[in-house]
Amino acid sequence: MKKALLCSAITASFFAGTALAERGSDGQLNIIYWQAASILNPYLSGGTKDIEASSMVIEPLAHYDEKGTMVPNLVDEIPTVENGGVSEDLKSITWKLSEGLKWSDGSPVTAADVAFTADYCLHPEGGCQQASNFTDVESVEAIDDSTVKVNFSVAKPFPYGPFVGAQAPVIQKAQFENCMGAKAPECTDANFGPIGTGPFVVTEFKANDVVALEANPNFRDPAKPAFASVVFKGGGDAASAARSVLETGEFDYAWNLQVEPEILSKMAAAGKGTVVSSFGTSVERLMVNMTNPDPALGDKRATIEGGPHPFLTDPAVRTALSKAIDREILVEVGYGEAGQPTCNVLPAPAIYASTANDACLGQDIDAAKKLLDDAGWVPGSDGVREKDGVRLSILYQTSTNSVRQATQALVKQWWAEIGVETELRNIDASVFFGGDQSSPDTFQKFFADIEMYTNNFDGTDPENYMANWACKEIPSPQNQWLGDNMPRYCNAAYDALVAEMSTTAKLEDRAELAKKMNDMLMQEGAMIPLIHRGGVSAHANTLEGVRMNEWDSELWNVADWKRAK
Amino acid sequence: MLNYTIRRLLFAIPTLLVISFIIFAILDLAPSDPTGNLPLTIPPEVREKIRLSLGLGEPFPIRYLKWLQQFFINEPLNLIEQWFGVSIGDSENRLRVQSWATRSPVVDLIVERMPQTLWVVGMSYVVGILIAIPIGVISAYKQYSVFDQVGTFISMVGFSVPTFFTGLVMIVIFSSTLGWLPSIYDTTHKVTDLASFWFQVKQMIMPVMVLALFNASQLSRFMRASMLDNLSQDYVRTARAKGLKERAVLLIHVLRNSLIPVVTVIALGIPQIFGGAIITEQIFRVNGLGQLLIIGIQGADIPLVQTLTFIFAVLIVLFNLVADIVYGILDPRIRYE
Amino acid sequence: MSTESILRVEGLSMYFPVYQGVMRKQVGEIKAVDDVSFSITKGETLGLVGESGCGKSTTGRAILKLYEPTAGRIELEGRDITELEGDELRAIRTDMQMIFQDPQACLNPRMTVGSIIAEPLDEHTRLKRRQKRERVRELLDAVGMNPDFENRYPHEFSGGQRQRIGIARALALEPKFIVCDEPIAALDVSIQAQVVNLLEDLQNKHNLTYLFISHDLSMVRHIADRIAVMYLGRLVELAPRQQLYSMPRHPYTKALLSAVPEPDPAREALRERIILKGDVPSPANPPSGCNFSTRCPIAEDKCRRETPAWREMDDGRFVACHMVQ
Repeated sequence: MKKALLCSAITASFFAGTALAERGSDGQLNIIYWQAASILNPYLSGGTKDIEASSMVIEPLAHYDEKGTMVPNLVDEIPTVENGGVSEDLKSITWKLSEGLKWSDGSPVTAADVAFTADYCLHPEGGCQQASNFTDVESVEAIDDSTVKVNFSVAKPFPYGPFVGAQAPVIQKAQFENCMGAKAPECTDANFGPIGTGPFVVTEFKANDVVALEANPNFRDPAKPAFASVVFKGGGDAASAARSVLETGEFDYAWNLQVEPEILSKMAAAGKGTVVSSFGTSVERLMVNMTNPDPALGDKRATIEGGPHPFLTDPAVRTALSKAIDREILVEVGYGEAGQPTCNVLPAPAIYASTANDACLGQDIDAAKKLLDDAGWVPGSDGVREKDGVRLSILYQTSTNSVRQATQALVKQWWAEIGVETELRNIDASVFFGGDQSSPDTFQKFFADIEMYTNNFDGTDPENYMANWACKEIPSPQNQWLGDNMPRYCNAAYDALVAEMSTTAKLEDRAELAKKMNDMLMQEGAMIPLIHRGGVSAHANTLEGVRMNEWDSELWNVADWKRAK
Repeated sequence: MLNYTIRRLLFAIPTLLVISFIIFAILDLAPSDPTGNLPLTIPPEVREKIRLSLGLGEPFPIRYLKWLQQFFINEPLNLIEQWFGVSIGDSENRLRVQSWATRSPVVDLIVERMPQTLWVVGMSYVVGILIAIPIGVISAYKQYSVFDQVGTFISMVGFSVPTFFTGLVMIVIFSSTLGWLPSIYDTTHKVTDLASFWFQVKQMIMPVMVLALFNASQLSRFMRASMLDNLSQDYVRTARAKGLKERAVLLIHVLRNSLIPVVTVIALGIPQIFGGAIITEQIFRVNGLGQLLIIGIQGADIPLVQTLTFIFAVLIVLFNLVADIVYGILDPRIRYE
Repeated sequence: MSTESILRVEGLSMYFPVYQGVMRKQVGEIKAVDDVSFSITKGETLGLVGESGCGKSTTGRAILKLYEPTAGRIELEGRDITELEGDELRAIRTDMQMIFQDPQACLNPRMTVGSIIAEPLDEHTRLKRRQKRERVRELLDAVGMNPDFENRYPHEFSGGQRQRIGIARALALEPKFIVCDEPIAALDVSIQAQVVNLLEDLQNKHNLTYLFISHDLSMVRHIADRIAVMYLGRLVELAPRQQLYSMPRHPYTKALLSAVPEPDPAREALRERIILKGDVPSPANPPSGCNFSTRCPIAEDKCRRETPAWREMDDGRFVACHMVQ
């Protein structure tokens, strides 16, 4: 009898060991983010590292998959107008939570938690960093325990801002109830160890250093996650993070490897890991200043009142500048796997991507010269073109970053070939992108002729993004230089398209409008897009299930990751 | 000596207040923005709200006074409460210095970082001293010998080659190629038995050695110079004339006297341990105080940077005093009144 | 006073190499002491005088083997100690000691007076702690200091007191022979006599033999039995005190003595100073022939060619000069 028991115990354990999927059977997962997580509450931190670290613990109602398609997560289906989830007037969306969801502490997930999350972020004193995901939200109400309705103050053709994607996860009401508004930062324990529905729970959090997690015993899929524990280490730099996965094999996954492409491919040759990339909406672009940044203008510098730019308002100049650039070389030098040449400021998702501007892809110095010649810009004695006493002399600024400085140098050289003089300038990122009113060096003030940086939009809907270039978005002293229309582009036809898009619900129609706006911006040369930038990460060859995702957290499907057998 | 110490401590108070004001003012004037590193997708209105929620809406003097109160009154009270488990006054609503990036009390972050910095950087300091003293002694005793020449060369190399280079070379050799040592320091590791102790040793070797080499090369030069100074003193001849063994002459007479200035230099260097070795911590991901400071600077986490820099300033002032006192104890010729 | 010689020095030379250049090649040598011979009998005081830099102190140190002599032979009580090294050398240090010139620098600033004096006892005797302490207090008493000073540090004392400490230290092992290397040069004039008297008292009490190095001719005249005169690394004359002062033979000795002021104003008025011309040549590059030939008022061709021998005169004095018969 005893023997039989023992035998069956052995067989049982044997089968358990070989069973295809069992929670916690694959040991420890080591993830390295060279920017360490500071906090695990994405509502108090806009940093990607913090959002992604927290995405293993707290989850949104729906995710975006690696193609940018929405997939249900805590719900059974995505609400649409067709299935009645979104109201006909586009002013509300109703989500229905899946059955039997539990927080990691064992308590049930209810619609009240979802509603609370919205209240938490919308609290006026909380300084919620994800407030833009809740734009125009009027109220969020729990209809019953599993049904939650989001009401918008205006018609929302794309009502998937709240609770979709890693930026807007659901937090537990019981835990954060006393952390509203001004008290939010004081709840250190909750902010460092939120209770969630995700595959892992926090066991130890060392701010700006490391997060230790273990499998959530109450995770909705009893077979997942495959890993028993996770170490999410931070610090150092991208190159050494890459080394720890690709060369030494100490870590399984390394994020955001902004490393010279050559170095990365050498490391990958060690055969321990694989470099993966994926492309979202990030585009490195040149912003063209349509207004005059001449310091002599004083307060009117770089504003509409200051008058148009002396030469960048000439379409021939803008086109020539774009044509002189060899985007392939820029990719090769600075981006490798992480970049593709692009001629659109809206390169993805696929249905929004225009092909009308692809002519810019090839470099054509001669054509650029001809354009300038025809427009009457003739080389002066020093080789710099001029017309009516105006010299083609450009101040070209960007943030301090080795890839950007390499790009600047190359562009300067090409522009010199077509007779355009360029002065380069770089500014520390925290100043350049910081909104300090007193600093003349911010990207909003744009006291230069050309500036370069990357921008993108969250999620998959470009409506807000494309609205950036409406006339009312132009930064100026009147609006404290807040505004996203850096080129100071202003076109009534474009504003009309923005207005139209905000009332159009059908996806295909929205796509048409977005393409039209993109083409308008490109053909008028308000911006010169350079590179469609993707994320580059690396995972160990022994790690399976990675589906690199630029639309959501890269760790969005960490529950499915497992050790290769 | 006691009066002297008390007087010096009293003088330190206005000095530190001035330092704190300068640090606060400089960081306040610096054109950095806590929301500057956030993704561009966060709209300006939201950024403005974030800034307000961080207390940036208030004028400079108010913020400075608040910080003073938090740092000099609230934080010490809080530490006392934690250590003795008592509660003093309204501890629930007492405002502590909050980091902007982590939204947690800065002092807690610092306390959390202390162990790895003290272990790794402190150990490297100790190892550096242990290497430097014998090298300095032998180099001086056998001046211009092969040993001295080689020692001089290695010191120059150790001093002039930056730690990020030596660190990287070590990682490439011992982690990438040989695979003997981990390249990333595990701060969650706990020593419970012999095996875990061995792992701790392994993960400490590289950062400790990189820093120790750097420290040792500086100190050994100092030791050598001080030894040379003393070797030519008359009392050394006296000691030899007494018929002492050469060892005794060297270790009892010369070394002890030579150590006086070296000990002072060592004491003055101790605040650097707390400052962490920013670069080395970064390379090996020994996420200690140095890395905390760097992240704070990068993320414009002003309260964190202010508090850390000020604590360093306090330590520097303090260890200057310690160095003076140690000098007084070691050298009977010096008396403080 | 016995006539048994305690120390014999024969042909003692001490050359220091001179290095130069990047590779520190030896380019020459300084002949600090060159072929010096003399002997000292037990209980006597031999004064060694000369200008500063002439090699007096080097001779003293070389005799005590604080330097490794380049050539020559040193005998202490008939035993050749020239080649002694290590433990044997340390062992004979109990017999010969040195009192240094600068009482400030030659005492370890970090040791108490007691431990400075006791250190030789630690090294060379097996006395118990209490015995050692007794001995230290005894020695302090012997040099005229309060024994309770044993716990103080050297910097707390005046120059004269420090020199007494230095003497106590030198006496600790009851040596037979002591080199006094300008023991009073760094002291105030008022203290000098006290220290010299102390040295004389101790000599009488312990039957000590001194090699008294000094540039102060009047002090040497007071303490020394015989006097040796040194010039540029070589001895030029050695004679009993009375004879040397009354009738110097070597032209350098004459010049030197003529510089000593007379206490009696009448005689001082008659004193004829011999002023030497030129500077002392560098010991790295001494003149050929007689070292003194470049400045000697009576030098002849021979002096510039041949080095004069160290000759014993009829009256038992030694002189190195071609012109002295």
